[in-house]
Amino acid sequence: MMVSSIILRTSVRLILPLSLLFACFMSLKGHNEPGGGFIAGLVASIAFCIYRMSFGAEALLRLLPVHPRVLIFTGLGMAAVTSIAPLLFGLPLLTSRVGTIRVPLVSEPFHYASAVVFDTGVLLVVVGVSVGMIMRLSEELE
Amino acid sequence: MEQPSSFWLLLAVFAPVLAGLLSMRIRPSLVTPRVLVALVGPVVSFLSVLIHLAGHGVAKTDAATKVITWIPSLNLNVAFLADGLGAFFALLVSGIGILIVLYARPYFGMSKDEQYRFYPTLGFFTTAMMGIVLSDYMLLTLLFWEMTSISSFFLIGWYRYEKESVHKAMQAFFTTGLGGMAMLGGILMFGSSEGIWRWSEVAHWHPHSSGYVIAAFCMMFAGAATKSAQYPWHYWLPGAMVAPTPVSTFLHSATMVKAGVFLVGRMYPAFHELTIWPWLILIPGAITMLFGAVTALNQHDLKRIFAYTTVSQLGLLMCAYGLGGLEFEHGGQHLMAIDWDVTQIANHAFYKAPLFIIAGAIAHVAGTRDLPKLYGFWRVNKPMVIVMLLAGYALAGGPGTISFPAKELFFYAIYHAFEIHWIFQVLAVMAVLTAVCNVAIFVRLFTTLLGLPFGQRDLSFDVAVQGQGHGHGDGHDEHHDVGFWAAMLWVPGAVLVAWQYLGGLLPNLWSWIFRPLEANVNYEGFAERLPFVWEMHWGIPLIMSLCAIGGGLVVGLSPLMRGAVGDVHDRIYPFLYWLCVHGGGRAFRTFQSGHFRWYVVAVVSFLILGFAGSVYFEPAMLDVHTASPLEFWPGLLLGIVICVSALMLPMVEKRVIRVLVLGACGFSVVGMYLIYQAPDLALTQLMFELISVILFVLVLRMLPSPDVKKSPGKVWRIAISAAVGITMGWMTLLAANSGTPPALGPFFEANSYEGTEATGGRGGGGHNIVNVVLVDFRGFDTLGEITVLSIAALGVWALLPGRAVRRLEEKFGSEGGAA
Repeated sequence: MMVSSIILRTSVRLILPLSLLFACFMSLKGHNEPGGGFIAGLVASIAFCIYRMSFGAEALLRLLPVHPRVLIFTGLGMAAVTSIAPLLFGLPLLTSRVGTIRVPLVSEPFHYASAVVFDTGVLLVVVGVSVGMIMRLSEELE
Repeated sequence: MEQPSSFWLLLAVFAPVLAGLLSMRIRPSLVTPRVLVALVGPVVSFLSVLIHLAGHGVAKTDAATKVITWIPSLNLNVAFLADGLGAFFALLVSGIGILIVLYARPYFGMSKDEQYRFYPTLGFFTTAMMGIVLSDYMLLTLLFWEMTSISSFFLIGWYRYEKESVHKAMQAFFTTGLGGMAMLGGILMFGSSEGIWRWSEVAHWHPHSSGYVIAAFCMMFAGAATKSAQYPWHYWLPGAMVAPTPVSTFLHSATMVKAGVFLVGRMYPAFHELTIWPWLILIPGAITMLFGAVTALNQHDLKRIFAYTTVSQLGLLMCAYGLGGLEFEHGGQHLMAIDWDVTQIANHAFYKAPLFIIAGAIAHVAGTRDLPKLYGFWRVNKPMVIVMLLAGYALAGGPGTISFPAKELFFYAIYHAFEIHWIFQVLAVMAVLTAVCNVAIFVRLFTTLLGLPFGQRDLSFDVAVQGQGHGHGDGHDEHHDVGFWAAMLWVPGAVLVAWQYLGGLLPNLWSWIFRPLEANVNYEGFAERLPFVWEMHWGIPLIMSLCAIGGGLVVGLSPLMRGAVGDVHDRIYPFLYWLCVHGGGRAFRTFQSGHFRWYVVAVVSFLILGFAGSVYFEPAMLDVHTASPLEFWPGLLLGIVICVSALMLPMVEKRVIRVLVLGACGFSVVGMYLIYQAPDLALTQLMFELISVILFVLVLRMLPSPDVKKSPGKVWRIAISAAVGITMGWMTLLAANSGTPPALGPFFEANSYEGTEATGGRGGGGHNIVNVVLVDFRGFDTLGEITVLSIAALGVWALLPGRAVRRLEEKFGSEGGAA
């Protein structure tokens, strides 16, 4: 189903990149501030859904670099690999690594936690699941 | 004492399946090399057991081999126990396994498909059986036990395109599988209450009749009883006769059905002191014994005759162990009423296997297994008839076979039990009647096969004329061998039946071989060796034997009980099957009405009832302290907004407005989270509200107008809604009231960025506690959740066919799309 309104289309063109950027921001800062992979995934899915409503399914498929189900498998794979990886170093499952690295030319040391990869996996799964489900559901309804 | 290594026994267990798999690598046209490769398996097994015994002797019941660690956390490791019972069974299984491989070759003829499939399956089964009898860990025994159920399913349902065959295989699998479940429960209960997980430890266990132990024992016995075809679970064994004869011989005379007897023998050393032991085992055992024998006499099909005598003999073996729980006094000593149990088991294997082997051989040659049609078969094939009659003589327990002293010993045990309770005189009568039937069966076989008067005869069929060259009465290939392989049809039977006469005529030799394997030898008279025929003591037991022989002769020659009757118990499984399929279907249709609102009603009523139930049992739940709602006015305000919008929902007619009202409700909840400083929850809730509004807008236009008639009445709806609201609200209050607040908050606060001692100095490296909990502390949960999410998405894809599939269906019709 398509809601063809010129206002909606124009605003969605603006909203989509901003929301995706916001999602990235949320997922990255999520470890210290409100946010996180799950919420970021929902933000991105909402953006994609609105895009789909205003431009149609074909346009969304063209927009997405891969099919949603690939997103699910990638995300699940990332989460699984980061959970299992500590076993290779003799640590318990899902141990995360925390540390700081100095990036050249940036004065402040960069603080990182390996759980971010896991969180990104969650993000991808959420996006894949919600976009995929909505696509199939709306296809069913048309 | 140093524990012997497990190597040889491990080899003994796994050699058959490895050889069977190896035989699949040989080109299908090369039948003889395939047989030879398959033969290696049981031969290696047999020799390895012998090597192990030669090196370490027959173990005591508490001396297991070295443990190979497997899954210690489940109390499941690999260790073996080659005590008398285990070693004997291992030798019996592998020894008969060798003969079956040889026998199967001429039986299946040159059929490539069957030769190809048979040896690996047989190898799998042999391995499972060896595992049962040698394992020391109870759970390992159970593992192999289930493996026999699975492999016997394949073997019984050998003719896999025949409905009957598959049906009987399912029947056997269902029955023995249920028993296996009970056994698993029994082992787990026994292990967790007594801390004993190995058969070798059972020997040191001091039995006590606590409820837990009794229940565990009953469940383990249920496993043994179903496997060993005890009444009323015996029906699967005659049903399993649809299998090819090599399978019947192996599974139903010597190995699988003996697994139950074996299990009882394994439990015997300690469990027999339970007061329930003799009664639990004797009652079904005695019924099985007599019922099997009488039914066997009323059959015409050779395999069915032997199947029911097997049932009868299994009942007898169970009785023998059951009597072992009774003590009698002899010369001032307390002795158990059990003697030479391994000989009892060996005795049955050494005549029943030949009987089956020859039954199959006769079917192969004559094209029929119907006893009346085989009248005068002597003229067709002499060696087969000789072997069958020799084995039949042992079935009758005639003097000169090991069967005779074995039966005497059983009678002795019953006789000794007389002084405990008069009811054992009933058992004595039942045992004599069983023996009468066995003798009568032998008399029938004798007169019929030799073509003598009083034999059973089907006048319309002359086996000498019509029988030859039709060899496919048993569903096998028409190919008939000559020379060595033709002889292999009956030689394995002769090899086995020779042991019967070895035991009967040379009891010294038999005792020399079997005495080391016997753990239970009690009577003075038979302490060192079994007696010769003329050494039998004159007394009640011998009189019982003579009565049996005399009665058997009369019944066998008389025209009584010559029909072929069915067994009413054959209906048990079809009935259960019908009950499951139809009852299940009806229950399914009742619960799955297909109306969404009924599902909702079902779920919420369950919730309400559950809550009401727990309040009933725990009245303290009604006692909830709340702070005054006026304490924090923004919360109160938002609460009012939430309530008002929720109450507005049912009043609004238009769906779109309803969605908006629902949205208002949801966004007020978001506000609530915000003012109570839970930004993460607020964010998540916000996103969910957005997505649900979008979804609703997508879906709403497509819904049909509401069907008011079918929905439950207004009063009901209000009542259910109110009840759900109160329940949920009360539960929330209860959760907030649950005593002192748990220490989780401070813990996460301290550990989320930098670890403390509690986490071994490893923090989550984040200031957002919620997120650190999600991806780090409870990361495993999150992993599970996203997996579930992905599966849900896959489900949506699978259930909604989508455009691509529908286009295909339109093009080719629905069948073309499916193809």
